[in-house]
Amino acid sequence: MLIPDLFRHGLERGWQVQNASQLVEDLTLEADIAIVGSGAGGATSAEILSAAGFRVLLIEEGGLFTSSDFRMQENEAYPTLYQEGLGRLSKDGAITILQGRAVGGTTLVNWTSSFRTPDQTLAHWASEHGVVGHDSRSMAPWFERMEQRLGVERWAAEPNANNDVLRRGCEELGLHWAVIPRNVRGCWNLGYCGLGCPTNAKQSMLVTCIPAMLDQGGSLLYLARADRLLLAGDRVAGIECVAMDERCVAPTGRRVRVRARHYILAGGAINSPALLMRSEAPDPHHLLGKRTFLHLTSFSWAQFDHLINPFYGAPQSIYSDHFQWRDGVTGPMGYKLEVPPMQPGFSATVLGEPGTPGAGLMEQLPNSNMLLALLRDGFHPDSASGTVTLRGDGSPVLDYQLTDYTREGLRRSYLSMAEIQFAAGAKLVKTVHRDATPARNMAQAREIIEQLPLERYRALLGSAHVMGGCPMGEDPQHAVTDSLGRHHQLENLSIHDGSLFPTSIGANPQLSIYGLTAKLASLLAERLA
Amino acid sequence: MNTSTEQPGISRRQLLRCGLLGTLVLATAGGIASVTRTLRSGPGTGYRQLRESHIPMLRRIIPVILDGALPAGEADATVQAVLDGLDRSLDHLSPAMRSQSLQLFDLLSLDLTRGAATGIWRSWENATSEQVANFLSRWEHSRLALFRQGYGALNQAILLVWYGQPLAWAHCGYPGPPRF
Repeated sequence: MLIPDLFRHGLERGWQVQNASQLVEDLTLEADIAIVGSGAGGATSAEILSAAGFRVLLIEEGGLFTSSDFRMQENEAYPTLYQEGLGRLSKDGAITILQGRAVGGTTLVNWTSSFRTPDQTLAHWASEHGVVGHDSRSMAPWFERMEQRLGVERWAAEPNANNDVLRRGCEELGLHWAVIPRNVRGCWNLGYCGLGCPTNAKQSMLVTCIPAMLDQGGSLLYLARADRLLLAGDRVAGIECVAMDERCVAPTGRRVRVRARHYILAGGAINSPALLMRSEAPDPHHLLGKRTFLHLTSFSWAQFDHLINPFYGAPQSIYSDHFQWRDGVTGPMGYKLEVPPMQPGFSATVLGEPGTPGAGLMEQLPNSNMLLALLRDGFHPDSASGTVTLRGDGSPVLDYQLTDYTREGLRRSYLSMAEIQFAAGAKLVKTVHRDATPARNMAQAREIIEQLPLERYRALLGSAHVMGGCPMGEDPQHAVTDSLGRHHQLENLSIHDGSLFPTSIGANPQLSIYGLTAKLASLLAERLA
Repeated sequence: MNTSTEQPGISRRQLLRCGLLGTLVLATAGGIASVTRTLRSGPGTGYRQLRESHIPMLRRIIPVILDGALPAGEADATVQAVLDGLDRSLDHLSPAMRSQSLQLFDLLSLDLTRGAATGIWRSWENATSEQVANFLSRWEHSRLALFRQGYGALNQAILLVWYGQPLAWAHCGYPGPPRF
C-alpha cells in the first residue's frame, strides 16, 4: 500500500527548503524571525509567527527524513535521527540520553504521549521560581489549542499487551492507572513511533506545523548547525551557522550567516544553553546550563507465560501516577510509570546484559514486558540535576551525578515496578541493574533490590526528556529569561523550548512545550506587530 | 557477584600493578592514540572508521559478549555483520563520542597498552574465550571508573548493533517490522 509522503509533495509544490550540506558557497539569509531548532518549540512558534505575517526562517541542524524514509529498522533510525548518532550520554557515560535530531526534532521519534503540564508543577513554578502568568487556568486554552492542532486524544483502542501489564498490575494492587492521550490521527497501531512514523499518523512537527509554516511562505534550512550568535551590545545581530555533511557529523566548510529582527532559540535543553555559552552571551548570575533535568529513568524487566510481543502496537497507552505526587510535590522523589516499546536493539541495550544470561532473557523477548519509571527531578533541593559544559570542540555534554535523595527514589521505583509486574502475573522479574539476578516472587525481588548498590554503571539508567538549563522566571538572578521566554539581558532574543522549564515536568514533556511555546509565540507576534 | 580480586590466576599484587599501570596507560591513551593514528594509514580496508588493529580484538570480544545469542555455525558471517554495524555507528557518532570510542579500541588493541589494560599479554588472535571473559569481568568490577565505563560502552555498542539487524531476530523471536 502506498502512503502519500506529505512532505515530499510539499517540496514538489515549491516550498522554500534548503539543504545546507549541498552549498557550494557561503550564504547570507534574511528573515523577520530566525528560529534555531525545528522540534516542538521551534516549529510551533514558526507556524504561529508565519501565520501572523512574519517571514520566518527555521534552522535545523539535523537532516530531512520523511515518511518514505521510515522503514521501522532500528539500525537505520538510531544513527540518523538521534543527537550525536545515538551517542549522547551523560559526561561519565552512565546515562544514555535520547534526543531527536532531524527536521521535526524529537517529535519525529517520541512515543506520542501527550500530557498537559501537571497543576502541581505549574503551581510550584509560580511559588518557588518566580514564574508568572502560567497557572493552570491561564495555560488551559493553550494546551487545548495544541491538543486540537495535533489530534491529541486518549488512546481509544485496547492497549497492547505490554501496556496491559501495567494496567492489570495496578488494577490488582488498587493503584492509580489511566489511559495516555496521544498525538495521532488514523494511527495503524504499529509500534514504531521511536523510529519515525511510516504512515504520517503521528502528528509530529514534520507533518503539522512545519508544512503549515512552509505553506505560509516561511523557509527551512537544514543540515545547518547554529554555531554562534553574533552579539552587538544588548542585541543579537546575527547567527553564524556551519553547514553539516549529509551524516550531520562534520562541517562541510560552508557557512551561513543569518540576519533577522528577532531570534528564537529552540534547540532543546543541552543545545540551547550550549549555543549561548559558545556565543559568550551575558550570564551574569552563572545560570546557563545549570539545573538541567532528565526525568532520570529506571527500568524493570519481566517474563510472562503468555505472549506479549512487546515490539508491536502503540508504544505507550497506559500510565500510573500513583507514586507521582503521593508524598507531596517536594517530598521524597515522585515518579510516573509507563512502558517502552521493546524492539530488540533497544531492549537488549537497555538490559545491557552480555553473555548467556542476557541471551537467555532476550530469547524470551516475545513473552517479556518492561516497565519504566520517570523520576521527577528538580523539585527537592537534594534532587540530582545536571550541568551543561562545552567540550574542546564546542559541542555540549551534560554532567549529571546521582544524589542520595535520587538513589532513594530509584530504589523505590524498582520495588514499585517489580510489585506491579508480579501482580500482573510475571513469573520472573529482573531489575535492570548489573547486580540484580532474576527474582521469582516479590519477597525475593525485595531482598535483591534492597541490596543493590545504586552507583553509576551498576544501575542502568536513561533519559528521553531533557529539560531546563535556561530557566524562565521574573528574577534575573535566578532565571535566564522572563516568564514570556524573553532573554533577561538580550533584547531581541527569546527562548522557546524545554530548556525554559525551572524543574522537570513530571510527565512526558512534549505537550508542555507545545502549549507554552504556542502562548509565547502568540504574545511575541503581538509585540512585534 | 565476583570481584576482581577473586579472579582465578591473578594475585592481588598483580592486579594492583595492573591497576596502576592501567591508570598510567589511560592517562596517556589519548596521546598514544593520536600518535599511532598519525603513524597508521587511517581506517582498515573495507571500513570507514575501524582501524586494522581493532579487528582482531573485536573478533575475539564480540562472540564473548554475544555468547548464547549468535546462531550456531555462522560465527564468521555474524561477527562480520557486527563489525560492519559498529563501523556504521562510529561513522555517525559525533566527533567527540567517536574519538572516545576509537581511543577505547586503541587502548584495547595496541601492543603498548593491551596487556596492562586487559591482562591479555599475547595477541588477541591467541586469546581464549575464558581470557576475554576474565578481562571483561575485571573491567566490570574495576576500581577505575574508566574501565567500568568502557565495559558498559563495549556491551551496549555491540548489543545495539547485533540486535538491530535481521540476523539476530530468530534468536529473540522477533518477526521483524510488519510489511505493507
